[in-house]
Amino acid sequence: MLIETRDLTKSYDLGAVQVDALRGVTFGIDEGEYVAIMGPSGSGKSTLMHILGCLDTPTSGRYSLDGSEVSGLKPRELARIRNKKIGFVFQNFNLLPRIDLVSNVALPLVYHGSISRSERFDRSKKLLDSLGLGHRLGHRPNELSGGERQRAAIARALVNEPAILLADEPTGNLDQRTGREIMTILGDLHSGGRTIVIVTHDAGIAEQARRTVHIEDGRVARETVV
Amino acid sequence: MNILESLQAGFRDMASHKGRATITMIGVVLGVASVVAVLALMRGGEEQSLAFWEELGGLRELRITNTRIDRLMMSAAEKASERLTYRDAIAIREECPSVSYVDPEITRWLNVSYGDLTYRMKVLGTTGHYPYADDMPVEEGRFLCDKDVETHANVVAMGPTFKEDLFGEEEAIGKTILIEGVPFRVIGVMERKEFYFEGDGPGNDRNVLEWFNRSHYIPISTMVKRFSITDRLDGLEVAARTVEDVPALTEQVRTVLTRRHGVEDFNIDAKTDRIEQQAEQMVFFNIVFWAIAFVSLFVGGVVIANIMLASITERVREIGVRKAIGGSDRDVFLQFLVEAIVVTVLGGAVGLLLGIGMVGAIDRFLDMPTAVAPSILLVAFLCAVGVGLVFGIFPAIRAARLSPVEALRYE
Ligand SMILES: Nc1ncnc2c1ncn2[C@@H]1O[C@H](COP(=O)(O)OP(=O)(O)OP(=O)(O)O)[C@@H](O)[C@H]1O
Ligand SMILES: [Mg+2]
Repeated sequence: MLIETRDLTKSYDLGAVQVDALRGVTFGIDEGEYVAIMGPSGSGKSTLMHILGCLDTPTSGRYSLDGSEVSGLKPRELARIRNKKIGFVFQNFNLLPRIDLVSNVALPLVYHGSISRSERFDRSKKLLDSLGLGHRLGHRPNELSGGERQRAAIARALVNEPAILLADEPTGNLDQRTGREIMTILGDLHSGGRTIVIVTHDAGIAEQARRTVHIEDGRVARETVV
Repeated sequence: MNILESLQAGFRDMASHKGRATITMIGVVLGVASVVAVLALMRGGEEQSLAFWEELGGLRELRITNTRIDRLMMSAAEKASERLTYRDAIAIREECPSVSYVDPEITRWLNVSYGDLTYRMKVLGTTGHYPYADDMPVEEGRFLCDKDVETHANVVAMGPTFKEDLFGEEEAIGKTILIEGVPFRVIGVMERKEFYFEGDGPGNDRNVLEWFNRSHYIPISTMVKRFSITDRLDGLEVAARTVEDVPALTEQVRTVLTRRHGVEDFNIDAKTDRIEQQAEQMVFFNIVFWAIAFVSLFVGGVVIANIMLASITERVREIGVRKAIGGSDRDVFLQFLVEAIVVTVLGGAVGLLLGIGMVGAIDRFLDMPTAVAPSILLVAFLCAVGVGLVFGIFPAIRAARLSPVEALRYE
């Protein structure tokens, strides 16, 4: 299994009250799967995704990625995992506003190290080309439409050839048509063999995935497989 | 990423944040420049006031006078003493390490003649340091100088009243007059001094300063050599090299004179009240100086800090993004370190140049005294760079420690 979790919990201590965002999540994802995560607002989907993406650490429980245990790793090692094994797509894109698209896409390669500048450029350009943004290389993010930005963000997530692509409501900030464009891209990536986990509120979008995990109140409520 | 790559990335990133870097740099430049200008103005004012006090003079001078002693009560030693003499003045000049110059004075009434005119006139044997010389500049020619005293020159600076009596409208400089039959060359004519009391009471038409106008000045050495039966002085002032040397000189003079006289039959008046007044002035001035310097540094610092902090929200989110895609704490920290160092050091250097330019302009166009000391430049530079680094790096360190999620959520 590519991803395996056991009893993951995440609590936020807000002084007077404690918020239990996750209350014991146990599930697994195989290589090449396309999994949708659904659930009501506040149920803990984003929290789970952040932990799977090593952007945050669980309060307790175990998480192994690609055969090695992740919980308990040092910040530095987590940074390496984020860089090499995980591609994360955010609802609000999170591109750096001051640098152009190629530079944004090439950024993970910079932190990868030992990749020459020209190779970084070539790889980023190729990815942007394949996502239909070849004519936008030198543009800054704020000169682009939401759909274009999200495509650039997907390119950035893929540039280091990660083992898994995590997307937290990638269409949440987009209109329906643009959202479908993005979903088509993700579908294509899955057909090409990528492992994808996507959080969505849209049942129509979830249908594209083979398997849907329903989260309610910080726990896995049920799973549906088509 | 290794350190070199991180630093390279830092430079690249800074280039891509030209706006942010420029604005921060402008803050540093202005901060440094204004601090330099304020400090230079303060320093200039301080130096000028010091120069003013020096100019006003007297601060370095000691007045030495004979103690009044009742002849009937004199001890043997007191009777034996010659009191203050020209030789004492020479001894002080030769033996006291802290002395700058001595200004002995002997006054005599002597016959002065030119052509067939002869008058009895007050003649002062003195030196170029005669205390009223500054106050009473020459109308033409020059006053006595050290060389005249050294060479026992037969030269005279005339009071204007007798110049007119003897020469009328005729040119006096270069002419020779006889004092007690000895020829003296006229080297200068003093400016006329006038002062009348207001109102119209009896005698108010009298110029109370007329005695200045009726005096002649010859070198003290010439006076002693030619006209004095004794070389007893009518007045003696000695000056220390600096104001700080005054106490030392006082002791040296006391030692020399006591040895020569065998008894302490003289007073040394150090004009200490004025020196103390001066010292008080300086303390006050220094407090004001440092207060203003501190305030200007503080204001400059606040400007820099403010600009640094203004971009912190953007920075923290950026840190979140960079960490999310695999930047380590160190990578992110080094990036901001490079940016902060380059911006503050470059800005600091430009600020120094601008500050020096501003000081030059103030000097030239506003005609205010300024003084740029290296210490001023150093203080301004270090403060600006320090503030820039602290406010540029410290938040970055804190942000670098946040988890990526926390940093991304930062508002
Ligand atoms: N940093 C935090 N501090 C305190 N509480 C938090 C924090 N982050 C999340 N929570 C809480 O944890 C719970 C789960 O949040 P999460 O964002 O995972 O929900 P979600 O399922 O993604 O919701 P949505 O569909 O609205 O995005 C919520 O109750 C939320 O208020
Ligand atoms: Mg969410």
